[in-house]
Amino acid sequence: MKRLLVLLMVAFTLVSTSTLAGDLYPDIPKATGKPHPEGNEYMRINHMDMLKHDRDTVVRQGVRDEDNSLAQCISCHVVKDEDNKPVTIKSEEHFCRVCHDFAAVKLDCFSCHNSVPTTPLQSSALYPHSNTELDGLLAYLEGVAK
Amino acid sequence: MISVIYALLFYIATLLLVVGLAVKIYQYAKTPAPLKIPTMPAPLTKTGVGFRLFREVAFFESLFKSNKWIWLFGYIFHLALLLVLLRHIRYFQSDVWWWVALIQPIGIYAGFAMFLALSALLLRRIIIARIRYISSPSDYLMLLLLLGIAASGLAMKFVSHTDIIAVKSYMLGLLSFQIGDLPTHPALLIHLGAVALLMIIFPISKLLHGVGIFFSPTRNQVDNSREKRHIAPWAKKLEEGEDR
Repeated sequence: MKRLLVLLMVAFTLVSTSTLAGDLYPDIPKATGKPHPEGNEYMRINHMDMLKHDRDTVVRQGVRDEDNSLAQCISCHVVKDEDNKPVTIKSEEHFCRVCHDFAAVKLDCFSCHNSVPTTPLQSSALYPHSNTELDGLLAYLEGVAK
Repeated sequence: MISVIYALLFYIATLLLVVGLAVKIYQYAKTPAPLKIPTMPAPLTKTGVGFRLFREVAFFESLFKSNKWIWLFGYIFHLALLLVLLRHIRYFQSDVWWWVALIQPIGIYAGFAMFLALSALLLRRIIIARIRYISSPSDYLMLLLLLGIAASGLAMKFVSHTDIIAVKSYMLGLLSFQIGDLPTHPALLIHLGAVALLMIIFPISKLLHGVGIFFSPTRNQVDNSREKRHIAPWAKKLEEGEDR
């Protein structure tokens, strides 16, 4: 038994010197913008709680801190396709989906929220569609004012 | 360092579990059953015995008949454990099966059910005097180990997270004999250590009831003692020897 254990030890120290194959860890896309002050490791572990906490402060207390909004996450962590257009959550290459698919964790933010960067108003859950109507209205109001 | 220790721990635990179970199954299969002793009323055909064993494994039939409270908590625990184990398949495959992804939320509820049912079983051992009298340290150990596994697992989900992406790539690495970096989160180390310990003691503990049930003469025998004489191979040899 002792000899077997030593043999195992030797075998695994030999094996452990070999580097991990790339396909064992998801290929996390690089983001634009400044790095997180808390560090990536912190964000990987705690982003879900931060988003939930944000949801509570926004919805229940009406505090809109744009630095920590989901829209802000999305605007830096954007992945572009061959046509240089941001990919939506429907694409497997979307920043969130790379890890969420890997760990089989369901992601339901984007059934309401926009998964690609937009102007602040558009990213709101209340205005999921383009704001051409609003632009039209503004143009009309401007015309009236003149 | 911790990564290597846990890797060795898991390789040894897996080896002991697989080899230990194989040895035990061989031992059970070789153990003579000299008497015809199915618990009556027993099935009259082999198909019937298959059906009876299925009911025993899937619904814990004889436990239900003997004690409703143990059946309730025991059944909840086993079912919850099954769901929790299925939920953990995601850590061992690069492309997670669709149904494993589907049952992820159910597995979380199952984690709570498992913890509550185990607590009830432990309370039963402590509170009921006659059960406490016949309880051995091993009985408590199994319950406490499983409770520790459930509690540390739930703690990682609801109190203090660990980097599950790193955990998964470490586990995938172990499957192809590569030792990556395991996060050194206390709850994770307790969780994995307790699981490895459970795997190690599985083949030498009461947990063997999982395979033992299939070898129980009172459950796996056909009620055909009038139609067919039941004689163990060694007894048959003796008899033949007398004839000569």
